Amino acid sequence: MPAERRSLRSNSKSDTSSSANGEKGRSTSQSSSSNKDKPAPTRAAANKAKAASTTKGASSNNTANSGMGEQRDQPRANGSDPTENGVNGSEDVEMGEDTAVPPTKGSRLSGEKGTDKEGDVAMEGAEGEDAEPEVDPKTKAIQDIKTNFTLLERAVTHFDPRFTLRVLRSISSMRKHITGDVLAEVIEETYSSSSVTASFLLNALDQAGALGGARSSAKMEIESEKTKSAPKETLPEVDIYMSILVQIFLYDKKEIQLGAKFSTNLIERLRTLNRRTLDSLAARVYFYYSLFYEQIAPLPPSPAATVTKIRQPLLAALRTAVLRKDVDTQATVMTLLLRNYLSTSHISQADLLISHNKFPPSASNNQIARYLYYLGRIRAIQLQYTDAHGHLIGATRKSPSSHSARGFYQASHKLLVVVELLMGDIPDRAIFRQPALERAMHPYFLLVQAVSVGDLDGFLNIVNTHSATFRKDGTYTLILRLRQNVIKTGIRMMSLSYSRISLRDICLRLGLDSEESAEYIVAKAIRDGVIEASLDHEHGFMKSKEVGDIYATREPGEVFHERIRACLSLHDESVKAMRFPMNQHRLELKSAQEARERERELAKEIQEGDMDDEDAGGDFDAI
Amino acid sequence: MANDLKVIVSELHSALGRQQFEAVNDLLSRGKRALLLQNVLIPTPSAPAELVAQAREVLELGAIASIRQTDAPTFTRYYQQLQPFYDLERDSTNAGHVDIRNSQRSKITGLYLLLLLSMGDSTSFHTVLEGLVEEASLKGKSVEDDPFIKYPVELERNLMEGSYDKVWRETNSERVPSEDFALFSNVLVGTIRSEIADCSEKAYPSLPISNAKNLLFLESEGAVIEFAQQRGWVLRDGRIFFPVEPEAAARSEKDILVASGTIIENAIGYARELETIV
Repeated sequence: MPAERRSLRSNSKSDTSSSANGEKGRSTSQSSSSNKDKPAPTRAAANKAKAASTTKGASSNNTANSGMGEQRDQPRANGSDPTENGVNGSEDVEMGEDTAVPPTKGSRLSGEKGTDKEGDVAMEGAEGEDAEPEVDPKTKAIQDIKTNFTLLERAVTHFDPRFTLRVLRSISSMRKHITGDVLAEVIEETYSSSSVTASFLLNALDQAGALGGARSSAKMEIESEKTKSAPKETLPEVDIYMSILVQIFLYDKKEIQLGAKFSTNLIERLRTLNRRTLDSLAARVYFYYSLFYEQIAPLPPSPAATVTKIRQPLLAALRTAVLRKDVDTQATVMTLLLRNYLSTSHISQADLLISHNKFPPSASNNQIARYLYYLGRIRAIQLQYTDAHGHLIGATRKSPSSHSARGFYQASHKLLVVVELLMGDIPDRAIFRQPALERAMHPYFLLVQAVSVGDLDGFLNIVNTHSATFRKDGTYTLILRLRQNVIKTGIRMMSLSYSRISLRDICLRLGLDSEESAEYIVAKAIRDGVIEASLDHEHGFMKSKEVGDIYATREPGEVFHERIRACLSLHDESVKAMRFPMNQHRLELKSAQEARERERELAKEIQEGDMDDEDAGGDFDAI
Repeated sequence: MANDLKVIVSELHSALGRQQFEAVNDLLSRGKRALLLQNVLIPTPSAPAELVAQAREVLELGAIASIRQTDAPTFTRYYQQLQPFYDLERDSTNAGHVDIRNSQRSKITGLYLLLLLSMGDSTSFHTVLEGLVEEASLKGKSVEDDPFIKYPVELERNLMEGSYDKVWRETNSERVPSEDFALFSNVLVGTIRSEIADCSEKAYPSLPISNAKNLLFLESEGAVIEFAQQRGWVLRDGRIFFPVEPEAAARSEKDILVASGTIIENAIGYARELETIV
C-alpha cells in the first residue's frame, strides 16, 4: 500500500528532523508520529486517553502552544523554509488524501473541505456528460470561486500554501465556466462598492465588453444594497486570485491588448505587497503576464518582438523574488526569462542569466522541467552535448504526463533525440512507439533511421523534405550538424564489415566529393577513436584492425557505474520530493512536553509510594 | 559637427585604401569622439537616421582596420559595439528609419565568425550562427544565401567533417569572398595542418615524404622534413615513421592499476550510499 509506505517514510524523516529539537523530544517523536499515521494500535488509544486526562498544568501549556500555532507571525518567520520545500515538490501530486495530515483542528476541517471539493468536481464532470440542467453552471462557478476564497483565507491563517495550490489547481477545471457575468457578480458580492480593487477588476472586465446592459443595471442595484452593509476587508490573496481569474478570462476571450495592460497594472500592485502566502499566486500572475505579451505583434523571433519589452520588469521581479526568498516566483520568472531570450535567439544572454543565477532546487516540478529543457537547449547549441543530454533526460522524465502537457513532452523528446544523435548514440526505438509521440516524432524517426545506417543521401533527403518541421521545432541547425555523424556511422559500418576497403569505394559509398576528402575523413575518424583501422596512402586503402573483446576493457564497468549512479540519484531525488506535514515538529514538542509532565508525575507518585506497578509499566510503554 | 563626421569618414576611407594604419587609428579615435559628442555611439530612437548611418560606418571601418592590423580584441570590441546598430537593421518595422544600403553587416558578421573559427571557439560560433539562421528563416531564406556568411559556415562544416582538402582549396583560391577574409587563411591552414598531422600519427604506420608533402599542403620536401622534425617524427629511407605508442603490455598493466583504483572507489561509494538508504 503506497500510502502506508509513504507515511512510514515520513515517520523516519520526522524522527531525524526532530533531533534538532533536542534529545528529549526525540525519544518521544517516534511513538507520537506512529500514533498518528498508523491506524489505531492499542497503545495509541491509551496515549490519547492519557493525553485527555493530563493534569491542569499540562493542558494549560497545551492551549498556550496551540495558541501560538494560530498566530500568523511566528510560523511565518519560523516555518517558511520547510513549507516551501515541502509543497513545491508536489504541485502536481494530488494532495489531500495520501499524505499524513497532522490531526490539528484546522487541518481536519480542511480535510473535510477537501473531500467536499472533490465531490464538487466530480459532480461537475457528471454534469458535463449528462447535460442535466439541474444546477446552473453559473451559480456553481460562483459557488466554486467562493469556496476558494475560504480556502485562501485558511491558507493565510494557517500559513499553509497547500491550500493556495489547491485553489490554483482548481482553475483549470473552472476555466470553461468563467464568464464576465460570473466574475462581475463575485466581485460585487465580495467587495464593497468603494473598494479600489473592485473597480480595478470591474474596469478591466468592462472594457472587454463582458458586461451586458442588464448586468450593469443589476450592478447599480447591488451597489446601492451594498452601501448599507458594512464593508468587509478582503485579503490581498483574494484580490490576486480574482485578478488571476480576470487574466484567464481575458486570455480566453483573446483580449490580448487589454490583458497585457491589465497585467502590467496588476504587477505594479503586486510589487507593493510582500506576503509569503502570495508567492504561488504571484508566480501565476507573472506567467500570464508574459503569456499576454508573447501574443502581441511583432511576434518573436523578430528581434523587435514585444517580449523584449517585458525583460526589464521580469528581471526586476526576479531580483525582488530572490531577495524575499520567494521560490515560486523566482523559478517561474527565471523560466519565463529564458523562454523570452530563446524566442529571439539571444542565446548568450540566456547563458549569462543561467551563470549568474541559481535556480531554486526546491521549485515546483513543472518549473524544474521547464528550466531543464531550456538549459538543455542552450547547451546543445553550445555543443556541450553531454550536459545537454543530462538536462534533457531530466526534462523528459519530469515532464507531467497529463494530456494537456503533451506539447512539452514532445518538444523535449524531439530535442533529446537530436542531441542523442549528435552524441553518436542511437535513440531507443521504443520512444517513437509511445502513443503521445508517435505522430509528432515521425520525421525524427526517419532521421534516426538514416543516421543509424549511415546513409548520407537519405539523410539529406529527409532534412530537405522535413526542413519546415525542423525549423518550427527549432532543431534545424542542430540537425545540420548531424552530417558528420552520418559520415562517421557510415565509416564505422564499413570498417566493421570489410577488413580492407579502398578509399575509392568509401568515397563512392558515402557520396563524398573526392578520394582525398575520404582519406582525410577516415584519418580523422581513426584519430577520434570512431574506428580501429590504419590507412595505406600508397595503395589507397583502409585496413581494419581486429576488434578486441569489449568485455576485456573497462567499458562494462563504466556502464555499470553509470547505471548505479542513475539509480542512486533517482533514490535521492524521490526522497527529496517527498512532502511532510507542516508543523509536525511542534506537535512532537507538545507531546514530548506531555510525556515529560507524565514522567514527572509518575516519579512523584512512585516516590510517594501509592502507585500500581502495572499502571506505571503501561505508561512507560506508551512513551 | 555633422560635416566634421563626414570629413572623418571620407578621410578614413582614403587612409584605409592607402593602408596607413597610423592615420586610420588617429582618425578613428577622433571619429569616435565626434560620435560621443553627438550621443550616437549607441543608437537611440531619437537620433537622426543619417547620423546613425555615419556612426555605423565609422565603427565598421574601425572593425575592418583592426582586422587588417590583426588585432582580434579590438575587432571583437567593434563587433560588439556594432550589435545595437545591426539590431535596428534586423528590425523590419523601422526599415525606413535606418539607411541600410551601405551597411556591411554580413561582411563584419562573416569576419567575426571566421575569427571565432580560427580561435577554435566553436561554442560562440554556433551561438552566433543560431541567431543568424533564425533570422534568415524568418525572411524565408537560408544563411547560405549570403556569400559572406556562407564562407565561414562551409569552412566550419568541412573542418568538423574532416574534409581538409576542401578547407585548403577554399582558403587558397579566389573563392575567398573578400580580401579581408584572406587574412585568416594562414591561421586556418596552420590549424588544418596540425589537425592533419595529429590524424596521420594515428592513421598511418609510415608515409613517404613526397606523399606527406601533398597531404600536409607543404611547398617542398624540405618543408616536410622541417615540419616532421618539429613534431618529432622519425625520418628513414625517404619515409616518415610515426612514433608508435608505448608497448601495449606495459600500458595494460598501468591500465589495470588505474582501473582497480576506480573500482575500489566506486564500490566504497556504493556501500556508503546503501548504508544511508537501508
